[in-house]
Amino acid sequence: MFQGLWTTLKSMFEKPPTIQYPEEKRPVRTRFRGRHVLKRYDNGLEKCIGCALCASACPADAIFVEASENTDEQRFSPGERYASTYEINMLRCIFCGFCEDACPTEAIVLGDNYELTFTERTGSIYTKQMLLEAVPEGVKTTPQVTPPGVFTRSVPEMKDPTD
Amino acid sequence: MAKKLVTLRIDEHTLQVPEGMLVVDAARKVNVDIPVFCYHPKMDPVGMCRMCLVDVGRPVIDRATGEVVKEADGSPKIAFGPKLDTACTTPVSEGMVVITNSDKVRAARKEVVEFILTSHPLDCPVCDKGGECPLQNLTMAYGPGTSRFIFDEKMHLAKHVPLGELVWLDRERCIQCGRCVRFQHEVVDDPVIDFFHRGRSLEIITDSEPGFDSVFSGNTTDICPVGALTTADFRFGARPWEMVSAASLCSHCPVGCNITYNVRREAKTGGNMVIKRAMPRQNEGVNEIWMCDKGRLGYHFTESKQRLSEPLVRKGGELVPAGWDEALDLVAQKLREAGSSLTVLAGGRLSNEDLFNLRRLADAAGGQAVLDTHMGGGDLAALAVERGAALIVVNPNETRLDKFATHTLRYNPGELLLTFGGFLESAAGKVFAEAENALVFYGSNGLGLQQSTYLAYAAAELLVKTGHYGKANNGLIPVWPKANSQGAWDMGFRPASNLGDQLRQSKAVYIAASDPAGDDPALAAALDEAKFVIVQDLFLSETAKHADVVLPAAAYTEREGSFTSGDRRVQRYYPAATPRGLARPDFIITAQLAGRLGVELPAAAALVLDQIAAQVPAYAGLSYQKLAEVHEQWPIIGRSDVYYGGTGYENKHGLGVQLPCAAERGEKIDLPAAANPVLPSVPAGSLLVIPVARLYDQGATLRPTALLDGRIARAELALNPETAEKFGLQAGGEALIAAGGWRVQVAVRVDSHLPVGLGLVPRSTGVPVFGPTAVTIEPVQVEIKA
Amino acid sequence: MSTYRILRHRDIPNIASLDVYRAEGGFEAFHKAVAGMQPSDVLNEVKASGLRGRGGAGFPAGLKWSFIPNNLWPHYVVANADESEPGTFKDREIMESNPFQFLEGLMLASYAVQAHDAYIYLRGEFWQIAKSLDGKIAELEAAGLLGDKIYGTEYSLRLHTHLGAGAYICGEETALLESIEGNRGQPRLRPPFPAVYGLFGKPTVINNVETLANVPGIIANGTAWFREQGTEKSPGVKVFSLSGCVNKPGNYELPLGTTFRELIFNYGGGLPEGRSIKAIMPAGASSSLITADDRALDTPMDYESVAALGSALGSASVIVLDDSVNVAWMVSKTVEFFKHESCGKCTPCREGTYWMSHIADRIVKGDSRKEDIDLLNYVARQMQGKCLCALGEFSTMAVVTGIEQFREDFEKLQRS
Repeated sequence: MFQGLWTTLKSMFEKPPTIQYPEEKRPVRTRFRGRHVLKRYDNGLEKCIGCALCASACPADAIFVEASENTDEQRFSPGERYASTYEINMLRCIFCGFCEDACPTEAIVLGDNYELTFTERTGSIYTKQMLLEAVPEGVKTTPQVTPPGVFTRSVPEMKDPTD
Repeated sequence: MAKKLVTLRIDEHTLQVPEGMLVVDAARKVNVDIPVFCYHPKMDPVGMCRMCLVDVGRPVIDRATGEVVKEADGSPKIAFGPKLDTACTTPVSEGMVVITNSDKVRAARKEVVEFILTSHPLDCPVCDKGGECPLQNLTMAYGPGTSRFIFDEKMHLAKHVPLGELVWLDRERCIQCGRCVRFQHEVVDDPVIDFFHRGRSLEIITDSEPGFDSVFSGNTTDICPVGALTTADFRFGARPWEMVSAASLCSHCPVGCNITYNVRREAKTGGNMVIKRAMPRQNEGVNEIWMCDKGRLGYHFTESKQRLSEPLVRKGGELVPAGWDEALDLVAQKLREAGSSLTVLAGGRLSNEDLFNLRRLADAAGGQAVLDTHMGGGDLAALAVERGAALIVVNPNETRLDKFATHTLRYNPGELLLTFGGFLESAAGKVFAEAENALVFYGSNGLGLQQSTYLAYAAAELLVKTGHYGKANNGLIPVWPKANSQGAWDMGFRPASNLGDQLRQSKAVYIAASDPAGDDPALAAALDEAKFVIVQDLFLSETAKHADVVLPAAAYTEREGSFTSGDRRVQRYYPAATPRGLARPDFIITAQLAGRLGVELPAAAALVLDQIAAQVPAYAGLSYQKLAEVHEQWPIIGRSDVYYGGTGYENKHGLGVQLPCAAERGEKIDLPAAANPVLPSVPAGSLLVIPVARLYDQGATLRPTALLDGRIARAELALNPETAEKFGLQAGGEALIAAGGWRVQVAVRVDSHLPVGLGLVPRSTGVPVFGPTAVTIEPVQVEIKA
Repeated sequence: MSTYRILRHRDIPNIASLDVYRAEGGFEAFHKAVAGMQPSDVLNEVKASGLRGRGGAGFPAGLKWSFIPNNLWPHYVVANADESEPGTFKDREIMESNPFQFLEGLMLASYAVQAHDAYIYLRGEFWQIAKSLDGKIAELEAAGLLGDKIYGTEYSLRLHTHLGAGAYICGEETALLESIEGNRGQPRLRPPFPAVYGLFGKPTVINNVETLANVPGIIANGTAWFREQGTEKSPGVKVFSLSGCVNKPGNYELPLGTTFRELIFNYGGGLPEGRSIKAIMPAGASSSLITADDRALDTPMDYESVAALGSALGSASVIVLDDSVNVAWMVSKTVEFFKHESCGKCTPCREGTYWMSHIADRIVKGDSRKEDIDLLNYVARQMQGKCLCALGEFSTMAVVTGIEQFREDFEKLQRS
């Protein structure tokens, strides 16, 4: 009996494990898989080339992609094509990260954000504008006007991932 | 004559195939895959890609005795060559042994794939072929996992080369298999693309103006084993695996090409199923595995923003949206009032089901069922086609067919039947009379309704005289301007001898898929005199603007139905896209109208066909199940071994049914007597002009295909330089042509191949010339602005 | 009388003029054949002589002619004067200096297979020779030796020259035929062989210039005379084109079976500056390398003996390499040549030569990776046995034998 009371007594002086969410937030693990982010290059162009391999890898059929062609007057990504429509249905998504693995340009990354709330079903569909990360400081957003003859590759050249 | 059979062994299979068959084809017969890139079963082998290398052994023959040398165990001794052989160029021979699964063969395939990949970019993620690419498939199946070629040393070549406005070339992806070049040379005989340079610099070029000037150009993108050739139309449209297929038919001409529509949901149309591309579907009795660019690109009318999406009713002089019930009630009331003074005018692009219901409605009211056409003779049509025949071409002007003809006959318009009268005495006529099988294809090039009708009579008479009728591969095949004109004749529609008068005198006119007012201003005036006009169409056509009620019809791509082709093959098509707005299929609209009039008509396509089978003798025994029957076709296309390219090829949805001809059913056709048609008299200072067909016409279902804008027929007058000079016309200039109540400005084209004293006007371009017509001509002076 | 059989102009000045040539017994063989022999007699005579093709393959000429079927007409004879093999320059000398002997041989071959039209296919750079041959042909026509009813018989013959447009592959007989027909110079599939389906789809004999130049002598003097020189299996004389690191490069007419040592040291004057011999390429850029040891140097140059060394006599264009030559550099040059000349029809040759030239280039420039020598060897072997025509196979010869016999030359160039 005393042993039990002692445990109770001890815990009274311990630091409580609960935290005051949402004022206070726990850091997530490095490998945490939260809401997706569509990445950009340093020059502001989108990494996504609209290949839809994420959509085909998705086991929950949560991603919908439509592609269009870039021109030098209206350039979204360095390659030939870009995603003109990019939608993820967060109600369907199971955050497995297969889309990240499938992406040939490391454009889609599962981020830290786990605060996904919506008040109606249509709100669960995250559009491209919601998913794209902000343009780096001092760089124009997409579409950009680019000089001819610079972006001639169909797929931007990739290096082997370093991490 | 049946070919001799030879027995050979391929791996563990022993098989018998006809002599002369290639090893690669023989292997497919027993489901042994011999991978290929350059070989295509529809073209001569070239043995270029070296992917099909196999070990070929032949029995050793003793030179002295001529006997096969035996091994100790009594089996024939087989000698293998020191090198591997290409299966695509090696014909089978008696006793041959082919090994396709040895280490040597596997190594060779792996090495050839590695060679091909050394110069192939790694842009599968954005390549339109990715997912249905033979190179991808064969690399996965036979290739090495990694390449030893240094990536940075890859060649960089132009990636956006427009061969024409329809087909794009990516030079980096090209593996120089030559399928496209060979297709244009061997299959189409439009040698407008070719190889240029040599070695690793080899490239495909076009040497025509405009680029890639061939109406079959799209097929090269299907047979391209990589993504080097892609259509401008489908560029980045969707990934192949995202689309679903719907079996369909081409609706642009009476050949009845079997096609597959690939459809996908589209965000910009609110999540509707939208057609992304059209691919040919194999039917060896019709289009084999090809289709023309008109069929491939001419589906865009389905998604056109101009489509009607709700019924319109005229109120206070304006057409305003109304509900279906309101519109149908109004129409039913007017039809009841009109009684037997009803004219049902239908166009040849409606399905058999639509036409049957319309005919039944007209019959119930005691009205007339009229076909909107300028070509006659559909009641005489008969049966199918075979190849390798003598071809006799009878035309007023030079055409591309002349090149393939064994006999070419020219005639003056109007004297065509004289040509026919003396035909049997000519050299060509003797060939015709003595032929085992003979077919007459007739059309309406340069002819009007009356002339083409007489032409059909004359041709039928010729066939009967020479005994070429009532049996397979003989008879008369009309080349109709519309996909289902034949079906319309079979459903009992007939052209009116004077459509204007007929319309004027009707108390109610019910027009479906036809635009008389747009074709001919005189008919527009006639329509205004009709009491009540109902138009059922895809678009707010010129005719619809004259209507009292406009009913929105679903496009054929949005519903089921069947067409009867020119050679009387009935084929069915399936729904592909989401119907537009409130649009309904024609046969359902008609059935709903009939219901209001107390006539019960079936409102499901399969049920309508059942009734057609019961009531139209030629269609007896047909059903949707029967039309959906398939059997294995040769060559085998699109199994799991997808290396002939494309996904839409295999036919799983029906090959159609060839209708028997009248004689086979024991019926007799009464041959009407043909007469030479009366030509209009051509007063001095006038010119005789005739209407001619153009592939890329200005039809309502082709205009929405913006890609074809540069090639579409324009209003023009084509004539011989001598004739042009006589009328003071200059090439590239403009002219005003006029006849009985109309005057149209057209461009002038001068062509020395045309006969003197004759003008050619393309149909469908807004010039109301429907048969030989005498017109007056005055040149238009172009004002030069200072 | 000349001591030469082919290069007779070296003894007889002005043999390139018709009068001199006829004075020296020219066209007697042709007259003898057309006026007095059956075509089959001519064919059998050549067959019996054992004359082998001088273009490279060494196929018996008479046997080749006998394959022409007599139920398919017309027949054609084509003289292959494309002479594009690096290191080969014998046909040029024959056509420039002793043209009538070659033309007479061509006319005899045409008579033997009863062809009424014969073509001379010259490489594009030989336009001056073509022009001069056209003049010679006109002279023959004027003299009644060409045209209709030659020597009053029913036989008629016309010769035509045809210039190529600068492609090595057009020396390959089927690509040559395509080129004459006006198509892309790409080899055809075989079978059917040209003897059945050749020029314009008709039976065609294709012979090298030097082969044809041998024919008049055989007809005029008989097979015994022809066989006086050379070996049993390789009878007659051969024009050897000697080049590379020798003091006196040039064409040497010697009996088949002469040893390499005799050619290089007796006739060619040995190597300059006393350098030592390292390797021999007996058949131009297409040949396998032969390490020039005593055994090789004492090998008689006939078709069988050179083949026994693992190489081929080919067109006998002997290129000598001395110890100052790095074989890797030489290999990179031949590979570069074949890359440039590959027609691009078949995959292994088109891609393989391109790939090999990349690797060889890296090795020579000194920025190769360790595995590149093996890779080069592997790629060459990967091409072997897969190509549509011989060009692809030949392009690998120097590479494979070079690495096999002189690997240290390659390793020397690699960064340590």
